Amino acid sequence: MATGTAVDVVMPQMGVSVSEGTITRWNKQVGDTIEADETLLEISTDKVDTEVPSPASGVVSEILVQEGETVNVGTVLARIGGAGTAAAPAAEPTPVPEPATQAAADAAEAAASEVAAPLPQASQPAAPSENGKSFVSPVVARIASEHGIDPSQVPGTGAGGRVTKKDIRAFIEAGPPSAPPEVPAPQAPAPPAAAPQPVAAPAPPPASPPSPQPQAQTQAPGEQFEPMSAMRRGIADHMRKSLDTSAHVTSAIEVDMSRVVAIRAKLKKEYETAYGVNPTYLAFIARATVETLRDYPWVNGELRGDKIVTKSFVNLGFAVELADGKGLIVPVVKNAETLNLLGMAKGIADIAKRARDKQLTPDDVSGGSFTITNPGGYGTFHGTPVISQPQAGILGTYAIVKRPWVITDDNGADAIAIRSIMNLTLTYDHRLVDGALAGRFLRDLRGRLQTWGETDY
Amino acid sequence: MADGSLPDTVLLLEHPPTITLGRRTEQGEVHVPDGANVAVVEVDRGGKSTYHAPGQLVCYPILDLTRHGQDVKRYCRDLELAIIQTLSAFSLEGTAIERLTGVWLESPPRKIASIGIHLTKWVSTHGYALNVDLDPAPFTEWITACGLDGYAFTSMARELGRPLAVDEVRPAAAQAFADVFELAFEDAPALAASGATRAA
Repeated sequence: MATGTAVDVVMPQMGVSVSEGTITRWNKQVGDTIEADETLLEISTDKVDTEVPSPASGVVSEILVQEGETVNVGTVLARIGGAGTAAAPAAEPTPVPEPATQAAADAAEAAASEVAAPLPQASQPAAPSENGKSFVSPVVARIASEHGIDPSQVPGTGAGGRVTKKDIRAFIEAGPPSAPPEVPAPQAPAPPAAAPQPVAAPAPPPASPPSPQPQAQTQAPGEQFEPMSAMRRGIADHMRKSLDTSAHVTSAIEVDMSRVVAIRAKLKKEYETAYGVNPTYLAFIARATVETLRDYPWVNGELRGDKIVTKSFVNLGFAVELADGKGLIVPVVKNAETLNLLGMAKGIADIAKRARDKQLTPDDVSGGSFTITNPGGYGTFHGTPVISQPQAGILGTYAIVKRPWVITDDNGADAIAIRSIMNLTLTYDHRLVDGALAGRFLRDLRGRLQTWGETDY
Repeated sequence: MADGSLPDTVLLLEHPPTITLGRRTEQGEVHVPDGANVAVVEVDRGGKSTYHAPGQLVCYPILDLTRHGQDVKRYCRDLELAIIQTLSAFSLEGTAIERLTGVWLESPPRKIASIGIHLTKWVSTHGYALNVDLDPAPFTEWITACGLDGYAFTSMARELGRPLAVDEVRPAAAQAFADVFELAFEDAPALAASGATRAA
């Protein structure tokens, strides 16, 4: 940058409820010349594509956010180097002209609503200038920089001698510096100097905590960048929010699965030939979990505001890894309390297949009341999963391993036997579920699995 | 339009078979079979790919959104509401699903209307497309419409089990749009033949 009078182009505020936008296309590249109001880039929010005009004329000196990236409102996207401007001191971020009309009023509302849209940076006061006119509004600063005027040279008629938009316009019309065509006037008067500050000052932490902030990301040698998929972003967002919401605590228990192993071996052939379905260990565990949840409604419940919600149904979610290893989805078996072992096995097989084939509907992945995750297939024996909000708990199932186990025979004598042992974890929201309750839940679940009878389904 | 010299204008029309690719179309979305009689056009609206054909009511509102809330998400929700009210005139219950902009019937969810917008100085172009009576197969067989893999598409005729003309739906669509956006329509004389309607 030669002149040091660059004008920042920031992600505009596209509405009270909008906190971020995605860059879809740069119409100019670094080094290109652009006129004020000419389209510099396009951004996308929801299903709306919006042209963002350049706030100033000049050469594009920097592009800071690449196509495909999503950033918060107010993030600096590019800089227009003030080519040909002489001595404009305004170095403050200048908002693109679009949202001037309502941004101030909306900002006040936004602060009150639960959607904590980061405010545009327009409200930052400019640095004091020498003659004591300590503030110029962003609009005035922009007009000044576009015309190469030092605002401190302009007689101000506003409060405390402040330079208003009218003042600077009059100055331009009267004065010599030959000006480019009429400034693209936002349809509103200059945002009142103080507008967004009083209410909005203590900006709450962003509602959706930063997925890694892409501001000024630079790529070091040996690093590669790839954009996040929508699913990855969704997972990142959900995981962060869940940890910010629930007080996660995990308890674990060891279960002797020897009876289940034996019964499953017997049932396997029958189920496969008669029903075409594999009675997986997961089906046994899910069945026993549903039975146990009946006695622990809070583990199957949720916190909603200051209410504890309990449910007369169990909608059982299953964390399913997608084939490419790049995502995770939690389809739900609805009304799992109505299913016997066979129904559970079929229900799990059905959602797992549809998840792999990408045939799940939005209804399939919503409304869960409790979730089971099964990372044990890879041999892991412990984990601390993240709760699927707004649920209160998630059960982790781990590898079934043959281990030397101390058993007590009918005569009360101890002996070491080879048993099939599995660890289970219950991760629960300690806001609702206490450790003792979680412990009893795991004890009962273990009891059901260890005493599974030949006629239990 | 942006300077207020033109009133809000809404075009209600039909397109010949066309696949349009929005700004966020991803590789692999378009898989048109050889010999299919369809044009493929890149357009400057938001969203991904979609399919238009006769039997689909296409609504192009040209609105100055500074007069309608100045909020892109609110505009999407308002369009969804206008579509839902249009459907309810035919006793069909449409719903909006969070994060899946457009209008759906449930359940299982099947998409009946798609939304894609472009804004220039807060003036909207493009709009929504409501499936009135057309074969929805191309949405899934020719393209992965809207990037939605594995979702079903449907039409009003299919749901009602009877043929339905776009002309039959157009007045309800105009009425619903007028209600939601608080506009009063008058026909634009020069454009009336092509179905354009203009707010007074």
